Amino acid sequence: MFENTKCECGHQNPLGTVLCESCGKPLEETGNASEPLEMRYDGMARRSQKTNPAVLDRVWNFFSSVKIAVYLIIITLLGSALGTVFPQENTFLNMDPSTYYKDTYGTLGNIYYLLGLSHTFDSWWFLTLLYMIGTSLIVCSLDRVLPLYRALSKQQIRKHHNFILRQKVAYQGPLPAESDASHAEEWVNRMAAQLRKKRYRVHVDGTALLAEKNRFSRWGPYINHIGLIVFLLAVLARSIPGWHMDQYIGFLEGQPVKIPDTPYYLKNEKFTVDYYNKDEMSAAFAQKDENVAKKYETQAVLYECTANCSDPTKTPDLKEVHRQNIIVNKPLVYKDLLAYQFDYAETPMLLSIKPSLSNPQTGEVYGSFKLPMINPPQSFDAGPYHLVTKGYYPDFGLDDKGQPITKSKDPKAPAFIFTITGPNLSPDGDVYLYFPRQIDKQNFRQDDINGAIAKKIDLAATSMEDVEIANYTSYLNIRMDKAMPYIWTGAAISMIGLIMGFYWQHRRVWLRIDDGTLALGAHTNKNWFGIRKEVAAALNKTGIAVDGKTLETGGSPK
Amino acid sequence: MSSFVDQIAALSNTFFIIAFALYCAAFSLFVVAITGKRWSGRDPETHARKWGSFAFAVAVIGFASHLLFFFTRWYSGGHIPTSNMYEFLTFLGMMIIFAFLVVFLIYRTLVIGVFALPVGIIILAYAAVFPNEVQPLIPALQSYWLKIHVTTAATGEAFFAVGFAGGLMYLLRSIDFKSRAEETKKARRAMEFTLFVALMLVAFIASVFSFNAAGYEASFKEQVTYKDKAGVEQSMEQVTKYVLPPIFKPHNSVTVSVTPFLGIKQPLLEAPSWMKGASSGRKLNTVVWSVLTGLVLYGLLRLLLRKPLGEAISPILGGIDPEDLDEISYRAIAIGYPIFTLGALIFAMIWAHEAWGRFWGWDPKEVWALITWLFYAAYLHLRLSRGWTGMKSSWLSVIGFLVVMFTLIGVNLIIAGLHSYAGV
Repeated sequence: MFENTKCECGHQNPLGTVLCESCGKPLEETGNASEPLEMRYDGMARRSQKTNPAVLDRVWNFFSSVKIAVYLIIITLLGSALGTVFPQENTFLNMDPSTYYKDTYGTLGNIYYLLGLSHTFDSWWFLTLLYMIGTSLIVCSLDRVLPLYRALSKQQIRKHHNFILRQKVAYQGPLPAESDASHAEEWVNRMAAQLRKKRYRVHVDGTALLAEKNRFSRWGPYINHIGLIVFLLAVLARSIPGWHMDQYIGFLEGQPVKIPDTPYYLKNEKFTVDYYNKDEMSAAFAQKDENVAKKYETQAVLYECTANCSDPTKTPDLKEVHRQNIIVNKPLVYKDLLAYQFDYAETPMLLSIKPSLSNPQTGEVYGSFKLPMINPPQSFDAGPYHLVTKGYYPDFGLDDKGQPITKSKDPKAPAFIFTITGPNLSPDGDVYLYFPRQIDKQNFRQDDINGAIAKKIDLAATSMEDVEIANYTSYLNIRMDKAMPYIWTGAAISMIGLIMGFYWQHRRVWLRIDDGTLALGAHTNKNWFGIRKEVAAALNKTGIAVDGKTLETGGSPK
Repeated sequence: MSSFVDQIAALSNTFFIIAFALYCAAFSLFVVAITGKRWSGRDPETHARKWGSFAFAVAVIGFASHLLFFFTRWYSGGHIPTSNMYEFLTFLGMMIIFAFLVVFLIYRTLVIGVFALPVGIIILAYAAVFPNEVQPLIPALQSYWLKIHVTTAATGEAFFAVGFAGGLMYLLRSIDFKSRAEETKKARRAMEFTLFVALMLVAFIASVFSFNAAGYEASFKEQVTYKDKAGVEQSMEQVTKYVLPPIFKPHNSVTVSVTPFLGIKQPLLEAPSWMKGASSGRKLNTVVWSVLTGLVLYGLLRLLLRKPLGEAISPILGGIDPEDLDEISYRAIAIGYPIFTLGALIFAMIWAHEAWGRFWGWDPKEVWALITWLFYAAYLHLRLSRGWTGMKSSWLSVIGFLVVMFTLIGVNLIIAGLHSYAGV
């Protein structure tokens, strides 16, 4: 069917136009003629209003519907709420979801897990919803912003009577008595001056006037949407390999630890935890006698590996590149790498000891050497004596056959077997078992096992200064997120759009005088109270006494 | 702590009480300004203007005292008082009053005071239920973002609260309480329910204060197992203290002591076994108490007024144009939305990125902030593009505020998560 969309003013409008693009006359008399005009997008035709839509048009139409957008928002909202019923799987570092939900929350928890709600936020349906919202944002915006831009950039000053008088705020009446028909233009100029004072841009065409201000606020929603699109794209970009890294690593004091997938090593030189003391607390709180942590701090040194990085048999060459104390709220930042204070554990562990070789009978000290617990060297010299490491058990224990084994790789109960050669010892060397920790020495009866040789020589640290102990393991969250700048950019654009759209309002006033009768209409996208007040004040100052409230006509001025 | 700082701390609490009293006075004055119009021997316009200005002035002085409370507490505590539930709610209450003052100055409609002030007052009274001593700041909160994120988020939410008051006013004004027609029945019932929920909160606060004042206490002990840092299961005895008389005792617990109340010396029932979250027995007891005392309060009011509460309140809105109320509600939400976005989402993301190493982690509090944001986004789209104004829009503003309250309080009470340090 061919529809005539030519307006009586002679303008040819595209199909779907509600208000004539030129004079604003309502083209189709749908609904009640006394209702205010539908002013959305200034009555322009949109792409989504095409007749005989093809498949692509149908998709476009689907996503261009605000109704669909609201449905998508509501479904996402409900889905998100479901995702907060029980803790999500990613809240835990080590957990088996297939049993955890059943054990902790019973049948309901099990159903929750089986429905996949325990990982709502990375489920296919939730991500699909987000993609659909993203598509809707793009399509909705394009579908509306282009016609709106066209409408606002070519506005006619003299509008049709029906257009003016069916605005939500409208006035019709004679000009003030003193200004007869011949003074109409003069009155219009006075009105123009009043509106300019209110910072309107005024266009006059004889006895017709168009005043407009804050048009830019109409672009606010679209700028907001652009920001949201950038934001969603940035979130999507995190799945690009190498853009995003997230791992939790324990750092024992004093040991550089390789950060997987990077050339970096990080050393926790010292970890400290401070608590508030009583006089830092308010009197009321101090009475509760609770310990409150004040500061967790890791003194971190970051190294970059320059050689021997991937060869496990060689010691890597490390170059210090950065040094920083990490506290909560102040992560280590080096290039793209971020390290956050996450947790800590008290893990007292021996790092190295500097034992002295002495004669137990006379107390004469022959010499001493430094013995690290991690990768100890093959041999040592202490005065005239030479020691060769025959065996090293970082976490000493005995298996069921009574053979020595190590229970783990951590130096929790280190034990060394040395062959010692030197004065008063057999030329082939005597075997000497050495437990650096005093407690292991007693528990495993070092002196009894060593037997005769224990009477000739003794290996022991003489003071606490000779012992290096790591008290804490600091757990750091090591991250890299190359999408962050884009995320912040998106958020900033969005925010600018919101401010533009919500704290300013696009206001327009049209008027025309025909035979001494004034017809005035005003439109705003928000805050009718404000525009009413402004129009009433301008009318009052030009000799027409009206109350702001009576201007709100609902489309049919008295 | 030095005695000077202690004195400031005591002074701070006095300012709070003064502010609270002044808000109550301002509310009463607003009521007089409106209902007194019909009193004989006076010009309604002059009466409203005179009493209205007086009421507004009292509210402003109350707000000033509230600010003094805030800054003296900041000084004596050494950190901004927004770090636990008590401090957050007193701040939220302060911002609701602020939002009310702003909206009042724009529209100069006296009746806003009758509805927006009580929202602030109830929030402040509710704040006082939580422990109010200044607590030392844990490392996670030691950031200037505590000042920025919490304050902006609360300001946005405060405008939503005024939007809620506006929506409620519109509904009370526009629902036809006189008619017994089927079409309006749903709306009338929903309004009664909304008012009942508000009364329930009032009844809960009142009972906590009454029992506290009477020195009531009941306590129970139970064996709880937990995993220590090494992942080994440990068992310990946990004592739960009740402020309200126990209708439900915690599951599997033994009564330690119960102050008799109305001759009740033993808990009446036991919480079901599936309720085993942290202090879930006490929470169940609190909820049941709130519902029961709320029903009693509602029943008493119905007896007194001899008509539904909505019908009883609606005449106060008689002379007001409903479209103005609709606009006030929408305007408050439109002012609040960008502030909320900035504070509760963007600043929250920046801080989360700095403190936890991720800008978004689907923590329940984050998700609920997003839900609030999505809800108001739907509200705005429905209003601006689908023409949902008046009744529909007002109901949405009421539901929206419920979502806000759940995000602020419900999440901490029921779901917890990373924001659990907020004091409950």
